[in-house]
Amino acid sequence: MGGTYLLRRLVQATLTILGIVVLNFFLFRMMPGSPERILLRNPHLTQATVDAARARWGLDEPVPVQLVKYLAATAQGDLGYSFQYRGQPVGEVIGNRMWPTIILVGIAEVIAIIFGLALGAYSGWKRGGNVDKVGNGVSLVLYSMPYFVIGMPLIIIFAAELGWFPTSGMLTPGATYASPMDQLLDFLHHLVLPLLTVSLGLIGGYSILMRSAIIETRTEDYVTTAKAKGLSENRIVRHHAFPNALLPTVTIIAINLGYVVAGVLTAEIIFNWPGLGTLTYQALSVRDFPVLQGVFLILSIAVVMANLGADLLYGVLDPRVRT
Amino acid sequence: MSAATTAKAPTGVWTLRARGFREFARKFARRSDGVLGFVILVFFTIMAIAPQLFVGALESAITASGDGLGPPSMTHILGTDELGRDMLNLTIHGARVSMVIGLLATVITVVVGAVIGIVSGFVGGLTDSSLMRLTDFFLVLPTFVLAIILAPIILDMIGVDAEVAGLRATLVVIVIVIGITSWASTARIIRSQTLSVKERMFVDRARVIGSGNGHIMIKHVLPNVMNLIVANTVLVFAGAVFTETTLAFIGLGDPFLPSWGQLLYAAEAAGAPGLGAWWLIAPPAICVVLVILGFTLMGNALDDILNPKSGVRR
Repeated sequence: MGGTYLLRRLVQATLTILGIVVLNFFLFRMMPGSPERILLRNPHLTQATVDAARARWGLDEPVPVQLVKYLAATAQGDLGYSFQYRGQPVGEVIGNRMWPTIILVGIAEVIAIIFGLALGAYSGWKRGGNVDKVGNGVSLVLYSMPYFVIGMPLIIIFAAELGWFPTSGMLTPGATYASPMDQLLDFLHHLVLPLLTVSLGLIGGYSILMRSAIIETRTEDYVTTAKAKGLSENRIVRHHAFPNALLPTVTIIAINLGYVVAGVLTAEIIFNWPGLGTLTYQALSVRDFPVLQGVFLILSIAVVMANLGADLLYGVLDPRVRT
Repeated sequence: MSAATTAKAPTGVWTLRARGFREFARKFARRSDGVLGFVILVFFTIMAIAPQLFVGALESAITASGDGLGPPSMTHILGTDELGRDMLNLTIHGARVSMVIGLLATVITVVVGAVIGIVSGFVGGLTDSSLMRLTDFFLVLPTFVLAIILAPIILDMIGVDAEVAGLRATLVVIVIVIGITSWASTARIIRSQTLSVKERMFVDRARVIGSGNGHIMIKHVLPNVMNLIVANTVLVFAGAVFTETTLAFIGLGDPFLPSWGQLLYAAEAAGAPGLGAWWLIAPPAICVVLVILGFTLMGNALDDILNPKSGVRR
């Protein structure tokens, strides 16, 4: 892989993350509940007390100095302290909630990429066929549904009415397990519905993307050539159309990750899945800004990194971009 | 078109436009998915403009007409919510809130996106590269979380009692937040079209006769990217309704002027999914999905017809 391509992407990703940290810095100073403004609201404070407090918090220094200190602290993983959790470091609060989200999104992405791309490729290739008509219709409807709208009926049908799955949480509250295996089974039992929700939400979009990408390849010369060579339809799709259609799809999947975040967060809320989504929801309801900003930073970094990964993957998939 | 321009007498611009529109209408009428989307949207637009055609005034906790959490019955076709309000009443009144917020957010998004896209593509150079850096930044960001952080800040800035176009401050905030966070893809699309329009002959001609940048952008570039803007607007509308629903669902909506997202938030808060109270969820959820689907179907059809790039696709 060409060094310049790699380097350019790395610099871009770093700048984006830097931009997010700077944005966070200024946003925090505009917050309705910033310490300075709360202080100033109290008329009985003497100027000396205010000055002392400002000095203690470093607010007496010029903004550029504050910014540099903020950047340095953030780089060291210091994301400030949560309001809600009695001064617990934000990094710790978020760290405890990260794994449930990563597991949920990770598995859902794998399922959705496999099924979404397969469905999209098949319906695009057999355009106008029965699978296409039904598959594309279903995909469009799923694509139009916020994730919590997908999940709520699932809860009503499979949890509330049929009782096959628990309605909320990640483990049965207060349960004691005979073995780690039992605990894992309980976890998987809780995972099914949230996973189904997020996967279905993703599949709609992925299948639509893949379908239109495949349709574009059908008129390409290399497909015509492959047909002329007498290759089987199966082989043409697998070896000629699909790899080419994958390129634009990978890019768009990566760019759309920012939107996926919103969906996953809301899906967590309805299932009370103890990840970043429920954390965001709780933090929002008590206006715990340090936690909100921490979540924003972590998720942004994750999305930027995933995009970087997609760019690099693109370089592997398509030799033309290695300049 | 070509026949019209070579015809004997100089044809009036309005005749040409009317002809262009008829041509467009003919193409659109052949797209059954686009027409379906259009029909869905007409239905909900009527609902948003004149809810009184279907139900009485918006019910509140005080004027609630039924008992709490009543399943669908003869008097309440769609049942009642936990406060005893008629779900049909709430859902139909929700149309106006959801659609108006969606419309205003769409206008902001498209205006910001189009201005940045045209200026960036037309002016080029450093302006272009810095604006596109900014655009890519917003394109990648998980804007939803940014929106959550921005909402209280903006509410604080405009004041809790502010009112814009009859919308309460909380709703205005949602409009602004959606606008700020979703213009980036529009800017990208408009920029790429501007780049190709810029190379066309009439731009050089305009420059030769001494037109300034501003004049060329408004009089020559804008009309030529207008088709794309129209197609994009419809798709942005789908996104705006989607985002509004999601933001309202996590508690940023207005309980006194409930949108569909707000109704879903209330249903969730009342524990409707676990109670199996499907009638609190189904009506607003189905409306939201139909409206987003309607805009998506119509937007895709318009994009295929009006976007020169996707027109190649068969």
